[in-house]
Parts: sequence; C-alpha cells; structure tokens
Amino acid sequence: MADQLIEEVKQMIIDALRIEGMTPAEIDTDAPLFGEGLGLDSIDALQLVVAMEKQYGVVVPDAATGTKVFQSVRTVAAFIAENRK
Amino acid sequence: MICFMFPGQPLTFEATVPDDLDFRQVTALALERTGLNLADCTCRGEGLTEHVRLQVHGVAMSLYHCRRLRREGTVPAIIAEHSMGIYPAMAACGALEDGDALEMTCRIGACIAAMGTRNTYALGCITGLTAAPLMAVAENNGVFLANYNTSRHFLLSGERRNVEDAVAEALESGAFTARSFPCDAPLHSPLMEEVAGELRDIVGDYRFREPTLPLMNHIDQDYLSAADLPEFLVRELSLPVYWERTCQALSAAGVSRFVEVGVGDSLKKYNRWIASEGGR
Repeated sequence: MADQLIEEVKQMIIDALRIEGMTPAEIDTDAPLFGEGLGLDSIDALQLVVAMEKQYGVVVPDAATGTKVFQSVRTVAAFIAENRK
Repeated sequence: MICFMFPGQPLTFEATVPDDLDFRQVTALALERTGLNLADCTCRGEGLTEHVRLQVHGVAMSLYHCRRLRREGTVPAIIAEHSMGIYPAMAACGALEDGDALEMTCRIGACIAAMGTRNTYALGCITGLTAAPLMAVAENNGVFLANYNTSRHFLLSGERRNVEDAVAEALESGAFTARSFPCDAPLHSPLMEEVAGELRDIVGDYRFREPTLPLMNHIDQDYLSAADLPEFLVRELSLPVYWERTCQALSAAGVSRFVEVGVGDSLKKYNRWIASEGGR
C-alpha cells in the first residue's frame, strides 16, 4: 500500500468531514473509523462515500461493502487502490 | 450572525456529565420539575419510560449548554429547532422559563408514551435514498416520512411492523443504510392526532412570552410568536421536520455561524452535507 495514498485518504477524511484542528498525522492508519476510533456514524459514512466517488471515481454500493471498506484508513486506501478508475 | 440550533431527542444518555455551577443548577431544576436525576439518569416517583427520560435529558443538556455558551460570551442572534429542540429553543429566546420547558417536555413525553401502551411503534433511519423513492417506500408500507434532514437523510415513522418492512424495502431500493428503532409513539406523523386533544390541554397550562430573539420553526421556516407557540407545539408532532429547508432559510437570513446546543452533533453533520451540496 503506497504511503502517499494513505496520507491522501487521511486528508480526504479531514476535508470531507470538516474536522477542525486535526492533521493527517493524528489519524491512526489502523484504528477503527467508527465507534471507538474516530467515532464516525452513518451520516459521516455517506459523506465519505460521496468524497471517494468524487475524488477517486470509486463507488461503495451499499452498507455491507461500506462496513468492510470503512474499517480503517488502511482498508479505505486498499479499496481505492483496487477499484479506482 | 450566530444561530443557536437545538437538536431533537438524543439516542443515548451522555456517558459523562459536567461538574460546574450551571450543570448543578439545571440538575436541580430537572429534579424538581420532572423527577429526573441528570447525574445518573434515574427518576424518582412515577416511572418515566426510557424515551421520556432521554427527552428530558436532551432538553436539560441543551439548557445547560445554552447557559454555558452564553456565560462564555457566545450570544445568538437567531434560534432554530429540530423536533423536540423546540422546548429548549423556547427557553433560549425567553418565551418560556427553563423549568417550564423541562416540565412541559416531561408531560408531553409521558402523554405520547401512553400511545406505546396501546400499540407498538418505531422510527426508521434511512440514508442514501432521495425523497421521491423513499416516499414510494413509505406509501407502500403505510408509514410516514417524519424528518427531511438532508437530501439523503430521512426518518420514517409509524407502526413498528410497517416501519420494519419499509426499512427492508428501502435497503432493497438502494438505501446506503436503513435501520429501525422502537419508540413510544409515531412522532411527526398524522397518527399523533390521536392525542392532539390531550396535548392541547397540557400546553394550555403554560404562559408563553413574546420571543426576544427570532425563533424559526422547522415546518414552514416562519418565525414563531408567543401566540403561535401553543398550536405549533401540538401541530409539529403530527407534521414532518424539514431541517434541510430550515438550514437553507437560516443561511439566507444571514446566519454565518451555527452552534449546535445539546447532545451530539447530528445537526452540524446535516448542515455539513447541505453546505457541501450547495458548493459551500
């Protein structure tokens, strides 16, 4: 997994969710995005789906896929790397 | 221009509570007027359902955050509300005393909770679909669109089995997420008219003062006067919450900063979505 894509995904999360006062370095690559990790919810998930489609042309078609993709920054980056156009 | 926006019922109690003078004062007021102890979320005397306790908790926390924000120098020029956010919103603009807002929340909550002893109800939280296909899903299953939060975030309301069927159909129709939550009553649906008379009796026990700040309502985005409030409090429970329109109307009115005053940050997230669609 390219480190650059990992960093891009972290920045995408910060930008899409308009998280104030957080830098990419503060996001753990392997921490859960939902619940105990960044504490994201379904509203955030849909915002990230739109951002991924806009930025990388990658579609997360449903919640079942989303559950797998949004486990961590690393899984998001892996999904983008495998599916981007 | 700063807008204080008051959210609806939280899904959970806050895990940790503050320890300052404002919180202690609001805690004492909630205990006196509703019997709910904010510190441990228990209630004395007549038992309140989990949902009513959450409603009182949500309103009390909004009242607390409002006091704290003002003490810290954040002063609103306009007030907005989502669903039961109307109760602390009325207090924030001087239309009602804090204690009356808490008591009214508890009494109205208990009144509508009684519906849950006669039937079973649920809310369905749907993301991803737009309003038109979701409206078709609602009609197919005999439920109602209760919250129009953004172009793709909605709440359904109705009898529990119907809501569960609608949630399943929404997923089949392409919803990104869809799940149902049991609740005491079919909030923001015409089914609430069953208790409209009792609600009018409760609301009639309170005196409303003229708001000292503009108070925008979530139905038609007009500003509420003291004379409007009693009927609005009854009517709003039978009609949907139109938050997307409210957010857009607030922006058009000149609001430059939105401050969510209460538990959680759902309104902030809805606004973020609405702003991103508007290119902001």
